[in-house]
Amino acid sequence: MKGDIVIIGGGITGIALAHELARRGEDVVVLEKRFIGSGSTFRCGTGIRQQFGDEANVQVMKRSVELWKKYSEEYGFPFKQTGYLFLLYSEEEISQFKENISIQNRFGVPTKLITPEEAKEIVPLLDVSEVMAASWNPTDGKADPFHATTAFALHAQEMGARIYEYTEVKDLIIEKGEIKGVKTNKGTIKTGIVVNATNAWAKLINAMAKVPIRIPIEPYKHQAIITQPIKRDTINPMVISFKYEDSYLTQTDHGGIIGGVGYEVGPTYDLSPSYTFLREVTTYLSKIVPAIRELLILRTWAGFYAKTPDSNPAIGRINEIDEYYIAAGFSGHGFMMAPAVAEMLSDLITKGKSKLPIEWYDPYRFERGELRQKALQMG
Amino acid sequence: MRFTEHPILDFERVRGREVTIYFEGKPIKAYEGETIATALHAAGIRIFQHSTKKHRPRGLFCAIGKCSSCLMKVNGIPNVRTCITLVEEGMQIERQDEKPVLPKTSKPPKWKEPPRIEADVVVIGGGPAGMMAAINASDAGAKVVLLDENPMLGGQLVKQTHKFFGKREQFAGVRGIKIAEILSEELKKRDIEVFLETSAIMLLQDGDEKLVVGVRKNKELVEFKGKTVVVATGAMERMIPFENNDLPGVYGAGAIQTLMNTYGVKPGDRVLIVGAGNVGLILAYQLYQAGVKVEAIVEAMPKIGGYFVHAAKVRRLGIPILTRHTILRAEGKEKVERAVVAQLDENWNVVPGSEKVFEVDVIALAVGLRPSIELLHQIGCQIKYVPELGGHVVIRDSRMETTIKGIFVAGDSAEIEEATTAMLEGKIAGISAALAAGVASPGWLKEVEKTQRELEEFRSGPFGRKVLEGLKKVVVE
Ligand SMILES: Cc1cc2nc3c(=O)[nH]c(=O)nc-3n(C[C@H](O)[C@H](O)[C@H](O)COP(=O)(O)OP(=O)(O)OC[C@H]3O[C@@H](n4cnc5c(N)ncnc54)[C@H](O)[C@@H]3O)c2cc1C
Ligand SMILES: Cc1cc2nc3c(=O)[nH]c(=O)nc-3n(C[C@H](O)[C@H](O)[C@H](O)COP(=O)(O)OP(=O)(O)OC[C@H]3O[C@@H](n4cnc5c(N)ncnc54)[C@H](O)[C@@H]3O)c2cc1C
Ligand code: FES
Repeated sequence: MKGDIVIIGGGITGIALAHELARRGEDVVVLEKRFIGSGSTFRCGTGIRQQFGDEANVQVMKRSVELWKKYSEEYGFPFKQTGYLFLLYSEEEISQFKENISIQNRFGVPTKLITPEEAKEIVPLLDVSEVMAASWNPTDGKADPFHATTAFALHAQEMGARIYEYTEVKDLIIEKGEIKGVKTNKGTIKTGIVVNATNAWAKLINAMAKVPIRIPIEPYKHQAIITQPIKRDTINPMVISFKYEDSYLTQTDHGGIIGGVGYEVGPTYDLSPSYTFLREVTTYLSKIVPAIRELLILRTWAGFYAKTPDSNPAIGRINEIDEYYIAAGFSGHGFMMAPAVAEMLSDLITKGKSKLPIEWYDPYRFERGELRQKALQMG
Repeated sequence: MRFTEHPILDFERVRGREVTIYFEGKPIKAYEGETIATALHAAGIRIFQHSTKKHRPRGLFCAIGKCSSCLMKVNGIPNVRTCITLVEEGMQIERQDEKPVLPKTSKPPKWKEPPRIEADVVVIGGGPAGMMAAINASDAGAKVVLLDENPMLGGQLVKQTHKFFGKREQFAGVRGIKIAEILSEELKKRDIEVFLETSAIMLLQDGDEKLVVGVRKNKELVEFKGKTVVVATGAMERMIPFENNDLPGVYGAGAIQTLMNTYGVKPGDRVLIVGAGNVGLILAYQLYQAGVKVEAIVEAMPKIGGYFVHAAKVRRLGIPILTRHTILRAEGKEKVERAVVAQLDENWNVVPGSEKVFEVDVIALAVGLRPSIELLHQIGCQIKYVPELGGHVVIRDSRMETTIKGIFVAGDSAEIEEATTAMLEGKIAGISAALAAGVASPGWLKEVEKTQRELEEFRSGPFGRKVLEGLKKVVVE
């Protein structure tokens, strides 16, 4: 078997990339060791925001939101622009967010600072007794990871992409710096171009390829909960509080409240749920929305944040291996970025450059000691 | 309607003080010690909620807190399982007709450290298996704590008014309810701490020990720390697909027994039973005893599944048992008013023109149980699908230890069988758990071996064959 471009990893990154490449007429194959979305994608908090603190991420996320809107309308999966509401509890937090807001506004993202009373109008169940202000952007939003990933996969397949599930990459065949193929548990695939889109597992694929530079991406366990469903439109935006251990919560399309906190364990590949997390999440979420105490938690689960030292992903080409690309290390915000990442990386693969600021995510920055400003990370 | 007279049970004795609760603002008489669902049922209220998407009426189904069919708003709090929540004076109860709305007045909870109960052996479930595990672990020298999510000990036994089969040492000839009483008396004689109305919601490895996270009365967190754990969470009733199987009035057999035999509330006037295994047959007899008319029992198999003696007794009462028949649909506006059944041919297809209509207000499903393995699954015990044992079950060794060291299983949660085997397994698991905790002297191994032989002997009859086939697939050394 062969494919012009082989993408390793069938999460939202790999699938959105396959979709974009197929749209451009490329012959593309996705190899996924379990089923699509089974990595971190189906375990994510569903949030999509443009509220970042640096120019590159604001621009990239602005484009990503345009693409989320376009494809959700075309393919009919739920993407809702219900906003992101950061609750701020100190002058210090407020001045930091004011700076972020001015960057966001410069690129046309309509974030503004609002009063606690205005925040309470948006989510009446909030406890704002300690809140001093909130950073509010109504054009941020959320999407259903199951429907979104499946929709991108089906349309990619319609355009000729091939997606092989339960196909695990075991090794890469590289001769004199040129990729010849990929070995899997189901046989070898001939190819000249490989994209490492395995996020939390990226270091393992990089090791198979013998990538000669240091790209520090480590898996950290993060957990989430979902409650019993309640009436729609109770908690529309993603609500975030850095004061309460980076906790976040929002309501899914089905009505349940999905949420998490900053508590993390790692580096590890262990995914067992923990009691410490459950205690923290119930404590902190009920500080933000006290009425959540009346709800039962239906499920809790864990997934990975694939973390880099500056919380920005590594996206780009590895020069020492001809046609080896990486898009990984999303540090807890890879779901939201995927459509824009797919566009940037497709530009790089097919045209050698991109209009979006892909240099920000340069995989060589770690080796060169040029870490970026830390990207705003939640959860 | 409540029973005042019953040939075996004395409800006046068990009913507590009279209290008033409010359903949609209207006062209803209830007794302390009753669940909300029971009191509503006694007042003739069958519809507890409407489904959120299609607004279909829903009522009681399992009566043991396992199916969510009875969720209501109680004192402003949504999603309360009314079948395992006891009434309290002045309670305000409302139907839930859409996805719940959260109260605006909730205050942030005041967090305090949950109580932490330490023991050698933690037993989850107070049915015959769990009680025997607790008693024997305690006798073997362990400090034992037992928790159960129901308001009373006994598990399925508390509803069995009939005399049990089995061996003399395992209470043959004694009524189920009586066995429950005897075992709980034995528990009380020992220094065993019992937590009722306490659900185990999580099972965790905590260093070398185990942590069971419990929630008492739906609101209070309690932590149970043990060197070893016995899971004896019993089983859950199966549902079968037919039109309108969600109408109020379609009950699991166990729910009818709970209403009738535990709380003395008449489940309805005329009943159709689906399934002629032992549970269906015994249920028919119990209904008759309580003065409820059983119109028929339908059984899809060509043969009656239950013991001959039970079937003979039911036939003597004039209750028809229709083999090779199934239920096609329930009919009725907001609750069951009729049941339509039909004959099946050798290929399990409905024989055209064979439909019969029964005017009933209750349809009882006695179509089997499946083990409650949720906690075992959650902590990561290895699981296998074995139809002979009732579905998904855990791999274990002959001392009932699962693939996770220090976690034991017993009774219906290990495989669907009966009270006698549940008790024997409970004994084996209890002693083994005490041994594994390092508190029992090695001499207790003999007692384990003796019990294993008793279990083997008990299963050597014709009814043990299927279970033995199944066990071959899950018992490893
Ligand atoms: C609790 C939690 C909440 C989160 N909330 C958000 C949020 O609100 N918004 C947001 O944007 N992000 C969020 N994230 C982060 C988000 O889930 C990830 O950044 C995103 O899913 C990454 O997608 P991906 O496709 O790059 O990686 P993944 O979805 O992990 O896909 C990588 C795939 O590679 C496969 N793979 C690995 N090794 C091999 C191999 N050898 N061969 C073949 N296949 C292989 C894996 O099986 C996996 O399916 C959250 C994460 C967690 C854990
Ligand atoms: C109609 C009928 C007739 C029967 N007749 C006979 C007979 O004649 N002879 C015979 O030997 N057997 C008979 N049985 C079978 C017998 O009753 C069961 O096999 C036996 O009760 C199983 O015991 P157990 O302890 O495993 O489970 P159960 O009795 O079901 O007890 C399980 C307990 O665990 C508790 N629990 C479950 N989950 C949790 C949790 N998460 N946290 C806390 N507590 C929990 C439950 O509240 C329950 O009290 C009959 C059963 C029925 C339904
Ligand atoms: S949970 Fe109450 S009837 Fe099933």
